[in-house]
Amino acid sequence: MSGRSSREAREARLQAESEGAQQERRKRLLQIGSAAVFLAIAGVAILIVVSSNETSGGDANLEDVGLVRHQLSGIPQKGLVLGDPKAKVTLYEFGDLQCPVCKAFSEQIIPDVIDSKVRSGEAKLDFRNYTIISQESIPAGAAAIAAGEQGRGWNFIELFYRNQGPEASGYVSDEFLTEIARGAGVKDIAAWNRARKSAALLAEVKATTAEAQRLDFTGTPSFAVEGPGTSGKETLGTPGEASLLEEAIGEAG
Amino acid sequence: MAEDRSITVPAMRLPAEGTLRMIATFVAAFGIGVATYITIADSGGGAPVCLAGGSGCQTVASSTYSHLFGINIAVFGIVGYVLLLAAALLRGDAARMVGFGVSLVGFGYSVYLTYLELFKIEAICQWCVASAALMTILFCLNALRMIGYVGKPA
Repeated sequence: MSGRSSREAREARLQAESEGAQQERRKRLLQIGSAAVFLAIAGVAILIVVSSNETSGGDANLEDVGLVRHQLSGIPQKGLVLGDPKAKVTLYEFGDLQCPVCKAFSEQIIPDVIDSKVRSGEAKLDFRNYTIISQESIPAGAAAIAAGEQGRGWNFIELFYRNQGPEASGYVSDEFLTEIARGAGVKDIAAWNRARKSAALLAEVKATTAEAQRLDFTGTPSFAVEGPGTSGKETLGTPGEASLLEEAIGEAG
Repeated sequence: MAEDRSITVPAMRLPAEGTLRMIATFVAAFGIGVATYITIADSGGGAPVCLAGGSGCQTVASSTYSHLFGINIAVFGIVGYVLLLAAALLRGDAARMVGFGVSLVGFGYSVYLTYLELFKIEAICQWCVASAALMTILFCLNALRMIGYVGKPA
């Protein structure tokens, strides 16, 4: 009788000890969990603070430098022509770098066309200056062509749009253009400066503007397509959706 | 009366651990699907297709934030969801702690990515939002599992 009760007492003690150990372990693991939560909160807070202060890819004053670089990465460029030079179809965009509608196109429609038609080599995209907003659009356009001479034309155009100021407000200064060129990755800024101020490039901007007028375009951006399926440049006006441009490219091919 | 030293959550009845694990299994499997889709869509040079149209997915996928150390962050998402699936399928404290730890990191990173989408990239990708929602659910499930059952017999 007494043997049995002492065994029961021992079992009860062992069970109590095991429960105690279990409680200790549970407490310790919960403490580890709480510490992890604090670390995670601190980590996220640090990431957000660092990221809100970080320069977007090299220049503190420019928006979307990295985004533009990523969007155009791996696509050949020559002058202001984006895409495989041997692509059968050419989509011409007549734009004014100061034009807000062109900016909207650059952000919302052109990326889809680049991904579906240009990246695949089906079409190339040829940007031509059609200056309508103000006189400042002429040096801006020449600066884009000069960036194109260093293989950074489209980076310049896209970055300009992403950082565009209010129409004809005087923001297109030498400093602004230089900042865009640096952000676009133009290596030789001195050569770019010489080129953009040259009579030849300024004349080219005026020549493409005259071409747009000959094509009866009345606003920017205006598009034209040329390929085996068209007779010369076929004007498209300003189609409001990427799918319309994609269809036109398909039909021209 | 002996003092109750056990750590309990007062006035709250937790679901059974088995229920939490079962739901976590489904959510993690779904998460693997979403992260895999984003990875495949991106690896083809494109971007996930936004269900309601728009170019949010395109913008987010083409932003510099979509890659970490040159690897698409959706790949890290797949790894995270696979670990969470394993943690949901396994018993014991190790699985409880790993599940909690991984979902905590995943949830924290999702908060950061959502911040980036809203304030830095200024575009919303539904697939990323879907993943963030799944990760939030997994974090809640794993937190409940850990708070309620860690240190207790499996």
